[in-house]
Amino acid sequence: MAYKKMVAATLVAISVLASACGNAGNAGNAGGSNMDAKAASANAANEGTVSSTETKEQVTLKFYSYNLAIASQIPGTEKLIKEFEEAHPNIKIDAIPIPSTDINAKVQADIVAGSAPDVAQLTFDGLDFAVNNFGAKPLEDIVPADEFQSNFEGFSPNGMKLGQLNGKTYGLPFTFSTPVLFYNAKLFEEAGLDPAAPPATWEQVKQYGLQIAEKTGQTGAHVGGATGGDWIIQALIGSNGGGVLSEDRKTIKFGEPEAIGAIEMWQDLIKSGANSKLNDGEAIEAFTQGKIGMLLFTSALQSSFLAASEAGGWELKTAKMPAFGDKPTTPVNSGSALFILTDDKAKQQAAWEFLKFSTSERGYTIITSEIGYLPLRPAIVDDPNYLKDWVEANPLVKPNLEQLESLQPWVSYPGSNWKQIETILNDSVSKAIVSDGDVASIMKDAQERAQALIQ
Amino acid sequence: MEKAIGRKTGIYSASAVKHASLIALALLAVFPLYWMVVTSLKPESEVFTSSLIPLHLTFENYVQAWNAVPMDRMLANSMVVAVIQTVMQLITSILAAYAFTRWEFRGSNLIYGLIALTWLVPFQVIMIPNYVAISGFGWRDHLAGLIVPNIASAFAVLQLYNAFKSYPKTLIEAARLDGASDWGVLWRTIMPNLKAPVASIGILLFITSWNDYFWPLLVTTKLENTTIQKGLQMFISSDGNMWGALMAATTIASLPVLIIYLLLQRQIIDSFVKGGLK
Repeated sequence: MAYKKMVAATLVAISVLASACGNAGNAGNAGGSNMDAKAASANAANEGTVSSTETKEQVTLKFYSYNLAIASQIPGTEKLIKEFEEAHPNIKIDAIPIPSTDINAKVQADIVAGSAPDVAQLTFDGLDFAVNNFGAKPLEDIVPADEFQSNFEGFSPNGMKLGQLNGKTYGLPFTFSTPVLFYNAKLFEEAGLDPAAPPATWEQVKQYGLQIAEKTGQTGAHVGGATGGDWIIQALIGSNGGGVLSEDRKTIKFGEPEAIGAIEMWQDLIKSGANSKLNDGEAIEAFTQGKIGMLLFTSALQSSFLAASEAGGWELKTAKMPAFGDKPTTPVNSGSALFILTDDKAKQQAAWEFLKFSTSERGYTIITSEIGYLPLRPAIVDDPNYLKDWVEANPLVKPNLEQLESLQPWVSYPGSNWKQIETILNDSVSKAIVSDGDVASIMKDAQERAQALIQ
Repeated sequence: MEKAIGRKTGIYSASAVKHASLIALALLAVFPLYWMVVTSLKPESEVFTSSLIPLHLTFENYVQAWNAVPMDRMLANSMVVAVIQTVMQLITSILAAYAFTRWEFRGSNLIYGLIALTWLVPFQVIMIPNYVAISGFGWRDHLAGLIVPNIASAFAVLQLYNAFKSYPKTLIEAARLDGASDWGVLWRTIMPNLKAPVASIGILLFITSWNDYFWPLLVTTKLENTTIQKGLQMFISSDGNMWGALMAATTIASLPVLIIYLLLQRQIIDSFVKGGLK
């Protein structure tokens, strides 16, 4: 009896499997349309001249995006893609959501399996790897020089540098943010500080932080970014006159005095009690609850903080990243760029159209107002056709926009150990700031270990 | 008499201590689940408050989670994958365990050793070759690509072999003498007695399959073709998590496992009590 039941169950299972596969097959038409696109592009190649504006053959671009894997950013990203497709009826975007933490692994696996995406959204710290291992194509090779020139008129010069390596442009900045100082005006007032005069230097952050802690009993400040990518660490080291990698991209520099000085400031901030001992996740939650005076973190958090402040009855304000004394601040961007990975000429042209649209006035308007990142075309901020009204309604974004003028690229480490090097820096800084250990020896040790990983 | 009472109070207080610590441990285990459900019922402004009950009960998070991703398709996919994968893994491992128990053949130790070794190979090592293989079959974005590479489980073979070994060989031989075929011995003699370990391994396999994240991430691309774990990730990002919706989606995603556990509870407890599963 039991035996018959088992056989029956197996049969049912097999038939379910078969039908399930059939369903998935029907739903996933991507394979078929890719084939069409390949055929179309082969035709295009045969015909010879393929001008970017005259590509009328149907082309499907396989696009990996992590914004589509973040529920709150799906509508804005889909809108961007939809508007592009409407403006370019011959190009279809086959958009595939992949979380940012897994997107590199997925691209790598797909390259091995022979099904690489045509366009991928990759974080800037992987730029070197994308160029040398994923075969990202420089735009200078795809786009005629005069078109390149005219397209990037009005583009932030600092912004162009973000996706450049060895003098060529591989990635166009897509969704990225800068470190801004969020602060709680209510706690400022309670501590007897002027909410209209946020701290401009780290010295002031310490002083204000201690004052907030003393007068309100809440936490004074939190500097985020010790974990989960080294972009804020790079911004701090840069603002103290240092760097993480030499100009020739061969020598790790985060064990040098400027870097040590920056991390010592951070350690002191925590040791003095001005900075919280929370981890970043906890600090974000505590700030949301109105329990932290100042928080340096990604500007992408702004909309959720704004909602929380309105619900919690306190006022959110923002300021530029504080400076080390009178040294110039060098905010570093986080986030991602779009890379063209396809070798197919027709697809490359279609991909260029997509990159062009995404980084156009309209593209950055959607990215800024509906996905929550920043525009790299400064003029659209004052243009009523684009972002003027939005910026007026969202004045908190202003310090962030001002920072674009001094923006420095997020340096990617060379070789296939890039992520390990970044992890060494993250771990060492975390270790240095929460202990009272000797920052100099921790950072020098980190530099040595990282240097050994440079191939 | 007095002594007896003293002993009795001793027993009572010992059992009270035992119960108190068990209750504390039970609370420790249940509280995160409770917090998940409570958070899923709180409006956004309340998510970060420490209130033990939602002050303004809302199902908005569930609506939001359900609409943000194709939850129904993902749950159905997860269910199909987990059920088929578990059934297949049980069938293959029952057959393998029976073969190892029933016959002593040349190289059986070697084969057993090899199976044990594959269990030690980390997924990251075989991930790319497996992915290239299923790409070659055209199974990317198909449920078959999720299931087929996982129809045999070394863990299940090892565990079931241990369970089968404990079954008296003389009973198997007696059944053979009565004229039962191997098939009959397996399903009619051994299996009815080993329901508990099979059920508990089955539930572990089911949970492993249900919770799998990385393989579905590689194999599937469209949200409609993927499993629920990838859907949960959509509410998490480096720029802040959507806690309410995440907890709502997680509550929904943990229901099937909970239901299966309730259905098989008897077997699982039996199995743990008897020490069949270490």
